[in-house]
Amino acid sequence: MPFRYLPDIALADVAFEAESDSVNGLFESSALALSDVMVDPATLGTGTTRMLRISSDDLDTLLYDFLTEVIVVKDVDSLLFRGFEVEVAADYKSLEATMKGEAINRERHILRNDVKAVTMHLFGVGHEGGRWRATVVLDI
Amino acid sequence: MPNIADFKQVSDVVWEIPTSYKSGMLVPARIYATKKLLEGMDAGVFEQVTNLACLPGIVRSAYAMADAHWGYGFPIGGVAAFDTETGVISPGGVGFDINCGMRLIRTNLHYSEVKSRVKELVDLMFRLVPAGVGVKGTLRISEAQFEDVMRYGVKWCAENGLAWEDDPSHVEEGGFIKGADPSKVSRQARNRGIEQLGTLGSGNHYLEIQVVDPSRFFDPDLAKHFGIVEEDQVVVMVHCGSRGFGHQVGSDYLRVFDGAMKRYGISVRDRELACAPFSSKEGKDYYGAMVCAANMAFTNRQVIVQRVRDAFSQVFHKDAEALDMHLIYDVCHNVAKVERHTYDGVSAEVLVHRKGATRSFGPGHHDIPAPYRPVGQPVIIGGSMETGSYLLVGTSKAMEDTFGSTAHGSGRTMSRTAAKRQVRGAELQRKMLERGIYVKSATMDGLAEEAGMAYKDISEVVETMDVAGISKKVVALRPIGNIKG
Repeated sequence: MPFRYLPDIALADVAFEAESDSVNGLFESSALALSDVMVDPATLGTGTTRMLRISSDDLDTLLYDFLTEVIVVKDVDSLLFRGFEVEVAADYKSLEATMKGEAINRERHILRNDVKAVTMHLFGVGHEGGRWRATVVLDI
Repeated sequence: MPNIADFKQVSDVVWEIPTSYKSGMLVPARIYATKKLLEGMDAGVFEQVTNLACLPGIVRSAYAMADAHWGYGFPIGGVAAFDTETGVISPGGVGFDINCGMRLIRTNLHYSEVKSRVKELVDLMFRLVPAGVGVKGTLRISEAQFEDVMRYGVKWCAENGLAWEDDPSHVEEGGFIKGADPSKVSRQARNRGIEQLGTLGSGNHYLEIQVVDPSRFFDPDLAKHFGIVEEDQVVVMVHCGSRGFGHQVGSDYLRVFDGAMKRYGISVRDRELACAPFSSKEGKDYYGAMVCAANMAFTNRQVIVQRVRDAFSQVFHKDAEALDMHLIYDVCHNVAKVERHTYDGVSAEVLVHRKGATRSFGPGHHDIPAPYRPVGQPVIIGGSMETGSYLLVGTSKAMEDTFGSTAHGSGRTMSRTAAKRQVRGAELQRKMLERGIYVKSATMDGLAEEAGMAYKDISEVVETMDVAGISKKVVALRPIGNIKG
C-alpha cells in the first residue's frame, strides 16, 4: 500500500500518511488513501474519467486543494475514483490530474465514511532521503 | 504533560488552570469535570483550552465542558467568548460542521404502540432520509431558493410548506441567525450544499426513535412544559449539521485566515486556531458565510423532521398533527454567535464560540420560546447509539458562569480504527437488536465505529453539568430504533 492509516492521531476522524519516490506519486497515493476511506476500491469500476486542473500557492496548498476537489466531486457529481494520474508542474504550484472511477452505486459499492474536509492539523508534505511523504487528517 | 494536581479546584466539578500555566494566557481556563473525568481527559484538552485562553480579546475564561476531547484548534466541548471590538473569530472555534446540532420531536405514542412497528418505521425513514457517502436529498430547489435558505433557514421552510406554524419559534434563534451574507459563500460550497437538504450524512450523525426512560424520569413536572407527559412516551431525535456545505465554508475560510493572521500580527500555537479580528473584513466575511451554513443546517434538520413526520403518519395511518409530533426544540452545538451577557459586572455583547457545546439559557431569557420561558431552554444532549441521550434544561447559573453554555454529548474515547478492531458492524447490529434497539446503517464499518464502547459515559457527563448547575436533568431517553449515516 502506498499509504498507511494513523489511528492514534484523531479519535473522531481518520488520518493517514502517504509516500512515494516522486511528487506525482505522492499526490496519487494521497488520493488513493482518501478514496479508500470512502469506499472499498475493489468494488469500484473505472468507466468514468474526470480531468482536473488546479493552481495553488505552494506544494502544501496544492495537495490540500487537490484532495478537497476530490471531496467536492464526490458531493456534487456523486463520483468516486480508484485510479489517479497526476502531473505536478515543476514549480509545484499547479497540477493536472486524470481520475478514473464511477458514480456511487449503493447496491454494488461497499461504502465507508463520508469524508467532509481535509484539515490543516499536522498537514504537510515532506521530502527526505529520496522519499516524498504527506500527513493528512480528514474530517469525517 | 500538565500535572492536574497543579490545577486549582474551584468546586467538586470545576477546575481552573491559572494564567501562569502558559506564556500568553490572557484569562484562566476552566474545566468542568469530576476528578475521574478530569483524569481520563486526553492531555490535548488542557493544551487546547489554554491555547484558547491566549487568543486576542477573550473575556473572563476559556472553558472545557465535561465531554471535552481533543479537536482541531479548539477542543470539542470548548466555549470561549470574545469582545466584539477587540476580539477574534476563529473557524476552528466553530468546527467544520457548522451548526451541527440536535433536534427533538415528541409524539403522543406510547412504547407499547410503537414496539412492534419499530422496524417498519426505521426502514421507511431510512428510505426517506438519505444517509451515507455522497447522498443527495429529495428536495430540489433553485439557486435563488438556496440563497433564501442561507438567509432565512426555518423561516423559509415555514413559508414554503416545509414547517408547522410553531416550528420556527422552537428552534434556537427562531430558526435563523441574522447576518447571513450569501455573497461570501464560495461556488464550491454552494454546489456541495444545494442538493444536500434533508440528508443525514455519516460519521456520528443519526436519527433515532427513543422512549422516556421510566427509571430516569428526573423531573416530570418540568418535563410537562416540553410536552413530555408520561413514562415510555416516544420521541424522535435528530443529530446532524450543514453537511458538505458547512465543511466547505470552514475549509475556504481556514485558508483565508491562515494568510490573514500575518496581516493582523496574530500568531497562534496551532494552525487550526487560525483567526482574524471579528471587526476585520475577513472576520466579517467568515461570520456572514458561517451564518449561511448555520441557517442551512437548521433547514436540513427541518426537512428531515418533515420526512420523519411523513413516516410516522404513513405507518400509523394518522396525520402527524394527530400524533402530536411537535418540535420540542432544536439546539446548535457548533456555532459562534453574538449574544448579550453579564460578566465582571458589565452587560455587553460578546461573540460566543461553542464548539461541541450547547447553549443553556436559563428561565426568563427573552430568546427562549414563551411556553418555556418560566423554566428555561430545553438542552438536548446526544449519547452514543447504544447508551441513550438526555433532555436537560438551561439555568440561571449557566448565564452567570459559562456564558449560558453546557456540554453537548458524550465524547469519543477510542479511535474509529480501534473500534472496528474490537467489534464487527453486523455483530453489533445483532447484539443491539437483542437489547431492543433496531439499527440500520448505510455502512457496516461506520456502524462498528460508532459502538457505545468508543464513547465516554454520557451519564457521568450529564451528572457533572447537573452538579455544576449549568444544566439540570429532566429525563433520559432510551433508544429503540436508530438510523446511522
